[in-house]
Amino acid sequence: MLDAERLKILTESAKYDVSCSSSGSTRSNRKGGLGNASVGGICHSFTPDGRCVSLLKILMSNRCVYNCLYCPNRAEADVPRASASPEELCELVISFYKRNYIEGLFLSSAVDGSPDRTMEQMLETVIRLRKVYNFNGYIHLKGIPHADRLLMSRAAQYVDRMSYNVEFPSEHSLKLLAPQKSKESVLLPMRQLSIEKCAADSEKGKCRTRFLPAGQTTQMIVGASPEADGQILRLSEAMYRKFSLKRVYYSSYVPVVHHSLLPDTCTGLLREHRLYQADWLMRFYGFSAEEIAQENENLPVDLDPKCAWALKNMHLFPVEINKAPIEMLLRVPGIGTFGAYKILKARKFTNLCFEDLVKLRIVLKRARHFITCNGKFYGSENSVSVRNMLALQSKQEKYEQLSLFSEPQTADSVLTGQL
Amino acid sequence: MNIYITDGSPDGFFTAAFTACNDINCTVTSEQNFQIALNSQITEIKNDPVKSNRVRKKIAEYDPQALHDISILLLRGAGTKEMTALNYLRQIVKYKRPVRDMLAVPPIRIAMEERRKVTLEAHRFTGFLRFMESEGGIFYAPFSPDNDILELILPHFYRRFSNQPFVIHDVSRKKAALCNNGKSRIVPVDENAQVILHENEQCFQALWREYYQSVNIAQRPHEKQMKGYMPVRYWKFMPEKQQEKLFGHFRENDGLHPGK
Ligand code: SF4
Repeated sequence: MLDAERLKILTESAKYDVSCSSSGSTRSNRKGGLGNASVGGICHSFTPDGRCVSLLKILMSNRCVYNCLYCPNRAEADVPRASASPEELCELVISFYKRNYIEGLFLSSAVDGSPDRTMEQMLETVIRLRKVYNFNGYIHLKGIPHADRLLMSRAAQYVDRMSYNVEFPSEHSLKLLAPQKSKESVLLPMRQLSIEKCAADSEKGKCRTRFLPAGQTTQMIVGASPEADGQILRLSEAMYRKFSLKRVYYSSYVPVVHHSLLPDTCTGLLREHRLYQADWLMRFYGFSAEEIAQENENLPVDLDPKCAWALKNMHLFPVEINKAPIEMLLRVPGIGTFGAYKILKARKFTNLCFEDLVKLRIVLKRARHFITCNGKFYGSENSVSVRNMLALQSKQEKYEQLSLFSEPQTADSVLTGQL
Repeated sequence: MNIYITDGSPDGFFTAAFTACNDINCTVTSEQNFQIALNSQITEIKNDPVKSNRVRKKIAEYDPQALHDISILLLRGAGTKEMTALNYLRQIVKYKRPVRDMLAVPPIRIAMEERRKVTLEAHRFTGFLRFMESEGGIFYAPFSPDNDILELILPHFYRRFSNQPFVIHDVSRKKAALCNNGKSRIVPVDENAQVILHENEQCFQALWREYYQSVNIAQRPHEKQMKGYMPVRYWKFMPEKQQEKLFGHFRENDGLHPGK
């Protein structure tokens, strides 16, 4: 059995990885099997840093032959090393799962020996879980760059989700900070998986193989390298489009290692928060990266990206709440997808007035400046004072305010603990 | 003013609703302790299947899903649950159609919010419930939810753990669901039942605590958010939030053994 000492080493190394969401997969329990995967995702606990614990997030090994500058486990570092065998990991996953501690496994690893050897160990673990233990819970596997393509494709048939980290928003930074990784070693597997998934999904019939039902995600470290938010968002947009990624995770840089090429301070959570807000705008509100920020521009600090966009486009407002199409309702600052949906439903029965919106629990602090109800305007005409008011509100809310952007997907954002 | 007192069951509620629906200023409740106004007239409702079925039938005619809404409203752990359900029912009768989307009407909005509190708690417990393994290989989970959600969460665990016998015990409502081999039943259970734990149980609880501590990013404390998502009152049965190992409240040989 895995002892507490190794468990500690292997989880402390894995914890900065933010993509712990367990949603997006349905895997029903087969007869005599253990577990299933739940579509909405389930949080099993919350840690004192406010993040959700959903999966057992652990490394196979933290012995690494690579030397990424920012990583506490890089070959040169003097840290306690440990590894776990496939059987030890299986036993731990099963006993945690049976006690309802976790939703499944998030398995990652340092490059122990060689990429192929590492990937083989990971593959053996997932096959064992599925075949020997009949485990039908959620499995997220992190791909090892440079590992054999066939190992990757095989793994994809057993797990729910795979992810390759792009790590940095530009090739230049990747070369500088993770010298043994290359753009191709991450992007090619992502492309390959998206092609194979597409082929597998178009197959018909009962015996078709399940191929990454929860798709692919990736992760970027924000703030360790100089790229602007605009560039980051353009990269995300391209990856959503090209590889049909489910999500891009932004992880604000926490210095664990001191190096002249790396900043010594934590990137503020606010920047990460703004990036997630902008990401939501692209995924659920129909915005393009272009509309949100110039390529060399950072997101505003004092305003959320939707307010900032609206203030730049005042000629499109105010919109009439009883008539505006859904696309436009979604662009009103303060009206989230859930709010827009409530308005859409309620206005079928009656012409909504301002008081009705209050009753619907629509947050009007921001929205009032951008809407009319039956032709009546309740906000301020003065755009400078609107801007100041919005900035002030945004300051008060900081990143603790969840409801604005995330209501319908609260479960999802809770899982990442990032919004 | 009339006060109708029910036994807390759905049948009791629908029997009361038969009369109370049109008795505008009345109160329906199953609470034992409530404030009585001086001029109030108390009626104890005796369940009457004829009356309750007539109400059910009428409601189902206007909105087939409304009975499900009401059944969930009645699981709410608040003294006002019958009134919330009754006010919702009155709106359905008034409009003679499904009303759940008419959120600008206060009693409907309140009903939908109350309904959500019940389903949200049920969803939370699919994550927060904790099992411990007994000596005999049965997995036992005590909990103490705000709302009466045992039956709501059961299907989830039933699907997930179809190959392991388990017991979920609502400690405050003194009842438990026993599940084994595709069968389940709900039985009354004494609060002080005891479980003899499997020899490995403490070891896994300790590993889980170790894991919980290791994944936390200590440089970024955000206790408020943690407590918002995972209210302190739920911590009692979660090993990661307890210093000591948890003891079961359930004795193996007291006849509750599922399948026996
Ligand atoms: S490959 Fe790089 S990031 Fe991954 S464990 Fe090794 S040194 Fe760290």
